[in-house]
Amino acid sequence: MSKSKRFLAAAGLTASVFGLAVGLLGLAPKSVARAAEVKVADPTSVVMIVNRDSNDIAFMDIKTKKIVGKTFLGNNANPHMVMMSPDGRYVVTGGTRANKAFIIDSHTLELVKIIPVDVAPEHLAFSPDSRWYYQGNPEGDSISVIDMQSLTKIKTIPGFAEPLNVTFTPDGTKAYIGNYGAHWVGVVDVRRHELMKKIQIAAPPGTAKLDPGRYLGELHGINIATPTPDGRFLYAADGALGMVGVIDTREDKVIKTIQVGKDPWRAYMSHDGKYVVIPNNGDETISIIDTSSNKVAATLEAGPGMVGVNFAAGKAFVISSSSGFVYVYNMSSLRPAGRIKLGTNVQLETATTDTADQKIYLAESTTNEVVIIDARTEAVERVGNVGLYPWGTHIMDSKDNYCH
Amino acid sequence: MLRVSKYTIVVTTLVLMTASLVMAQAPQKQSQAEMIARLQQLQKELAELEAAAAAVQAPAKVAAAPQAGQRGAQAPAPAQQGGRGQAPAAAPAQTPGMPPGMVMPAGPTGGDPNNPEGLPADSTNPQALLDRIKLLEDKIRYLESNVVLTDPETRVRKKTVYVDKNGIEYDQPTAGAKKTVTYERERVFRRNNINEKIEEALSDAEEHHVQVGVNAGIVSQFAHRTKGDALVQDDGTVIKDNKAYMLASADLFFTAGIAQNTIFFADIVGLSGPPPDLELGTLSLVNGYSARLVNQNELNLREAWLRTELFSNKLALTAGRLDLTNYFDHNVAANDETSQFISDALVNNGALGLAENGAGVAIVFDPKGGFNFKAGFQQSSHTATNLSDSIYSLAELGYVTRLPGMGEGNYRFWYRTDNTKGTGYNIGFGTSIDQKLGPQVTLFGRYGESQANPERDKFYSGGFQFAQGLAFYPGDKWGVGFSQIDPVAGGKEQLVEGYYNFSIAEKFNLSFHVQHFIEADGGAKRGYLVPGIRLQASF
Repeated sequence: MSKSKRFLAAAGLTASVFGLAVGLLGLAPKSVARAAEVKVADPTSVVMIVNRDSNDIAFMDIKTKKIVGKTFLGNNANPHMVMMSPDGRYVVTGGTRANKAFIIDSHTLELVKIIPVDVAPEHLAFSPDSRWYYQGNPEGDSISVIDMQSLTKIKTIPGFAEPLNVTFTPDGTKAYIGNYGAHWVGVVDVRRHELMKKIQIAAPPGTAKLDPGRYLGELHGINIATPTPDGRFLYAADGALGMVGVIDTREDKVIKTIQVGKDPWRAYMSHDGKYVVIPNNGDETISIIDTSSNKVAATLEAGPGMVGVNFAAGKAFVISSSSGFVYVYNMSSLRPAGRIKLGTNVQLETATTDTADQKIYLAESTTNEVVIIDARTEAVERVGNVGLYPWGTHIMDSKDNYCH
Repeated sequence: MLRVSKYTIVVTTLVLMTASLVMAQAPQKQSQAEMIARLQQLQKELAELEAAAAAVQAPAKVAAAPQAGQRGAQAPAPAQQGGRGQAPAAAPAQTPGMPPGMVMPAGPTGGDPNNPEGLPADSTNPQALLDRIKLLEDKIRYLESNVVLTDPETRVRKKTVYVDKNGIEYDQPTAGAKKTVTYERERVFRRNNINEKIEEALSDAEEHHVQVGVNAGIVSQFAHRTKGDALVQDDGTVIKDNKAYMLASADLFFTAGIAQNTIFFADIVGLSGPPPDLELGTLSLVNGYSARLVNQNELNLREAWLRTELFSNKLALTAGRLDLTNYFDHNVAANDETSQFISDALVNNGALGLAENGAGVAIVFDPKGGFNFKAGFQQSSHTATNLSDSIYSLAELGYVTRLPGMGEGNYRFWYRTDNTKGTGYNIGFGTSIDQKLGPQVTLFGRYGESQANPERDKFYSGGFQFAQGLAFYPGDKWGVGFSQIDPVAGGKEQLVEGYYNFSIAEKFNLSFHVQHFIEADGGAKRGYLVPGIRLQASF
């Protein structure tokens, strides 16, 4: 072949390859872009912050304490709770005022899917295999089931009464739904995504009819059924009844009811599974239940408007939302161990604990900060400007991932 | 060796480039179907939003009706805006409420408002579809932001800024600028519904108003002498047996937050009816309510004080007209005549020796770590002409602990002085303990001595409280208690009381009491059995 022919052949092939490349890029622009814009290489390295009023999820690097990215969800999405899938692939949140579930790629932080759900989605959970994302819709009285393989909503399970939190069993076959508008825990068959049973925690007392203000007013029912570390038992606090029901998950029945203080908010399990801490907002105390005897081991003074409990360094940190204090309790002696003042005229929200049980990341919505508490020294560090109205935090694999 | 003609190369190149371009165009063809689907989804969302807007606007108008005379159809103004009203929420023609950077979509030109261009429903023109999608998206965004539920929320926040010597304000630290705290309005896209707005308004109003509480009780008692002769009073009157007594009491509480960590509190009490204490001649009060009795059928100012908290709320200072027993000698199981034992000897320590309320100060240091320390003083006689001649002072150390195998326990030790009698400083000391033996049973005890030259009066009491399952209903509680007063001056009293408190409703309790007193005076003894019923309402 002559030089001119070789030149033409080479030019033609180059142009062809270039053309094909352009074509392929046109077909799959997102995948190429995704690979180029990884912002979080290790999903366990970040704290997720759900910013209710800036309508985004912020990702803060645990080591540097810098915001490495934010995912904007859209005006008036007003996300409520954020959670990462157990496989670390996705981050999801329910936009309470958008009636939508938002699915974010946990590496690129891109919003990959918006899925319409029922009314006012708030709390949520993943099945242990990351396949199912259950989104509770308290004002729709339903659970939306989202298939995380196809990223589609496959079903809406009706029949609940203000469903708040979802608890999957370790084997993923059942999910327990706390109904804040009722006195029962719903049991969902995860294979069929159907409500199988309603487990009543306790019946209202015979004197209930004499107290319509309490029993026929705004109902403070069951927020969550909190599992023991092995998933064998669940502890469900009923606010109106002032009771905690212990559910055996093998038989799906209440094996004991325990009277606690007034208007218990919900149960929080210590990481070793020995104790359950119940904040009683009605009388501003906490009840500590010994899980070996299922008896109240201590009732201690606490603060107003408690919204969360975190465990670290052998202590329980109880967040008193409206007082600006975090109350501290020694979990060995079950005695009060002081309190940490985080500000005046501030509103504390919820917190997560790192996987080493050393630091607590608490959202503070008044000053748009995340407050980092060293559990051992109780020293406080603040990270500002994380977003507007930070409402909660989440760390993958943390044992204290919860919402209001 | 590649053997091809230049025409073949050129043709091949053109074919490959064309194929590439076709492939690049392929997504556009595919996106037509997506666009139609998107269009349908948008139309559905828009219909839902418009339906929701219509549903919300109707109750909103009803809720706003009482204000119509003042503000017409305007939406309620957030308090942070100094009372300025906002534009009507449902007026789409006004742009001030639009999100920043958003362009108001053109109004409908007639026909289907979702299809103002009048495009045919089955149009597959990509540009037309894109235009319609944009129009619908803008409309949805507008509805979501402004019309459906509320305007974007406006609130005032505390903000740290940096101000230089010329008064120029910076958001970030700047050389020569001083860190300053200021307050600034912030607008966010937080969508509230009507219920939340109403709740916020009510909560805000509640915080800024005086809160009023009521604690009212009616106690009916019947006294039957079980031992000894009838009591003969000093004037020779013989107290007959088997009499009924009734005392009605009402406390009105006023609480107001007046500054940061500072509250004002007042308690006005009125009592009416004869308690048994006027006739039985017991050393301690049969009816603990009588302790607050100053004059029958009159309103009396029982307490009025200011309280402020300092040093990260660890130190509380209270000053005004006080009842120091509200701060000292606490007991979880025996410290409240309105819901626990009614005998005064099972409400406070007899060695405290505080007869009436008065002007004073109480200081409480409580770091919430288990220990707490309290100190205070007050005027203890309303007839005294100065504080120095009737000063009662008290100090207490408290400790919360948890003994092995038991629940938490509170251990308190106090010491007091009182110069009211005019014989120098009379001292007393005592302890008050409550220890949970388990979640259902609480053991309590008190011991105290008070100076009564040449020896000391002695007091002790103890008993149990039962609750949480060891009762008929979950909120019920009951208890049994014993007390003994052994004064140096003579006389001795032994008391046993049992009570059951039904928690009928959150604000309403019914209790049954049985008390038995043995009063010894020299060799003579008199006994009284006093059953009673107490109705208590607090709200």
